[in-house]
Amino acid sequence: MNVQQAVRAMILLLFALFITNLHYSDQVLLLINPKYEAISKIGVFILLVLFGFQIHRIWKTKQNESHEHDCDHHHDHGYGTINVRKLTSYSIILLPIITGLVLPLSTLDASIAEKKGVMLSLTNNANREESTTTNNGNASGSQQDYNQPDPNLNSNGMKKDEYEQMKGSLADASSIKMTDQAYSTYYEMINAEPEKYVGKEISIKGFVYKEDGFDANQVVIGRYLITHCVADSSLIGFLSTLEGAESIAEDTWISVTGTIYLQDYNGISLPAIKVTGWEEIQQPELPYVYPVVIKLM
Amino acid sequence: MGSFRNTITDVTGLFLFGCCVCILQISSTFKGVFTLPDSIYNLNTIFLSILIEALPFVLIGVLIAGGIQIFITEDYIKRLIPKNKFLAIVMSCVVGACFPACECGIVPIVRRLITKGVPIYAGIGFLLTGPLINPIVILSTFMAFGNDLNIAISRMMIGFVIAIVIATVISVLFKSNQLKQTSTHNAGCSHHVEKTSTSIIEKCTNVFLHAVDEFFDMGKYLIMGALVAAFVQTYISSEALVALGDGQAISSTAVMMGLAYFLSLCSEADAFIGASFRNLFPTSAILAFLIYGPMIDLKNTFMLLSTFKARFVFIFLGIVTFTVFLTMLLLSGLY
Repeated sequence: MNVQQAVRAMILLLFALFITNLHYSDQVLLLINPKYEAISKIGVFILLVLFGFQIHRIWKTKQNESHEHDCDHHHDHGYGTINVRKLTSYSIILLPIITGLVLPLSTLDASIAEKKGVMLSLTNNANREESTTTNNGNASGSQQDYNQPDPNLNSNGMKKDEYEQMKGSLADASSIKMTDQAYSTYYEMINAEPEKYVGKEISIKGFVYKEDGFDANQVVIGRYLITHCVADSSLIGFLSTLEGAESIAEDTWISVTGTIYLQDYNGISLPAIKVTGWEEIQQPELPYVYPVVIKLM
Repeated sequence: MGSFRNTITDVTGLFLFGCCVCILQISSTFKGVFTLPDSIYNLNTIFLSILIEALPFVLIGVLIAGGIQIFITEDYIKRLIPKNKFLAIVMSCVVGACFPACECGIVPIVRRLITKGVPIYAGIGFLLTGPLINPIVILSTFMAFGNDLNIAISRMMIGFVIAIVIATVISVLFKSNQLKQTSTHNAGCSHHVEKTSTSIIEKCTNVFLHAVDEFFDMGKYLIMGALVAAFVQTYISSEALVALGDGQAISSTAVMMGLAYFLSLCSEADAFIGASFRNLFPTSAILAFLIYGPMIDLKNTFMLLSTFKARFVFIFLGIVTFTVFLTMLLLSGLY
């Protein structure tokens, strides 16, 4: 019996079961964009196949391992004695499984937002979009994301005509509803041409974020956009003026209505919300928003 | 005897499965037994998300690497290399670009190619483009940047040109093969028998077993990289990073290249980590990260030291660093 090969087989299986468990309990949505669930499941399948081949090694000796390998190569085939170096590398590989099993997953909050430099990216977006909107008419630039055929449909999938309709309805709507599905698209459009939307009514849900240098009645109301996985999330939202903002704690989820106006922040003009009414709400089941995926069928 | 072995294997598999289920069950009782600061939970969540996202790509990568290792012989690749120096360099970069390997798997292959008489500069061209330009890297880069083709294409094109430049410089500077003193055949190598009659089933088995080895070789570097990246995201404010980068092309490119070197990420997964810095650094610095990392990084330096003479490795490191840095500075105006 080869202990090291057994350990390897065990690790492969643990990874497969751990990821399966994440999918089964829907916790995977706290980590990745639902669009990537399918490829993650393919990963589980590969792990199981590898496990299937690996268990055959457990009762083999080095002699009957028929490897067509060159000797000068750096693979550790898992034969030989377990030493400190190997123990270390197996511990490293086991680390995510251990932390994943023992520690609960968190939802990104204001403390992460602070590290991400929210106002940097908000002003960045307002800036960047202004220079790229000239080609908004044709499907290019940021629009090309939506034309990619994507076999993995998710809650954020919609047909192309639905999507066009959603975009079209924004221009002549008197009040803008930032629903989960439309959130990222509307955010982009409003940032692209803020002056078009000044004076319109808007209703939005999000959590409260404050930064040093805000006035007492200023907050950002926003949500995390997950393009890919939690690691590349960015907070998208609007700077808002809200009477009594100092009494609202950071990370409180609120639902607000207000009107859009332009606010100068560090010399850059941002689309912002003048809040007329708000209420505290529960954190939604799905705290994150995702870019729209266009369904082809 | 064979059936007995199969039974043993099945029982072992079932036994391990049982063990794993028990571990999963028992561990859930530990959840929430002790409380840690919130930042630790955030760190862990970001760490796991990078891993869960990157793992399928890495797995597909090791499978392909296993297939290549078993089914494509070096002789075949070697036959393709032309006699003309510059043609050979371009050729080696193209072959590398078609060759889906990661930087961990490619060093031993290059070493073997060079022992078989492939010139050093062609070996280097292959070494540089192999991990940087291949379908998996293109796909993962494309996806990591929110299905944006620009970054993926820029990464490939610029990387390709840089690889040709570096290989050309190497061809001017070095004449010999720069390998450490090697006996072309290690004595301690009993399991290596050139079996020409290996059955297809055995070959396929070897592909998967090779993939397992590859996974364990690479897994730990990926995990360490994900952990460091998660740590940076949780504890280091991006304002500080940007301040370090200072918004200047020079310093931000240097910061990103330093990250690429020390994170030692696998090229099949580094795009996800590069993407997470997208809001903080100019695109040219992000591209420097994406191009420099697969060419040379900390773990790769060690692998090269085990293969080539130390002097050569450090000169090579210097050339790569300088070339990537300079190129990205020149291009920073475009992005």
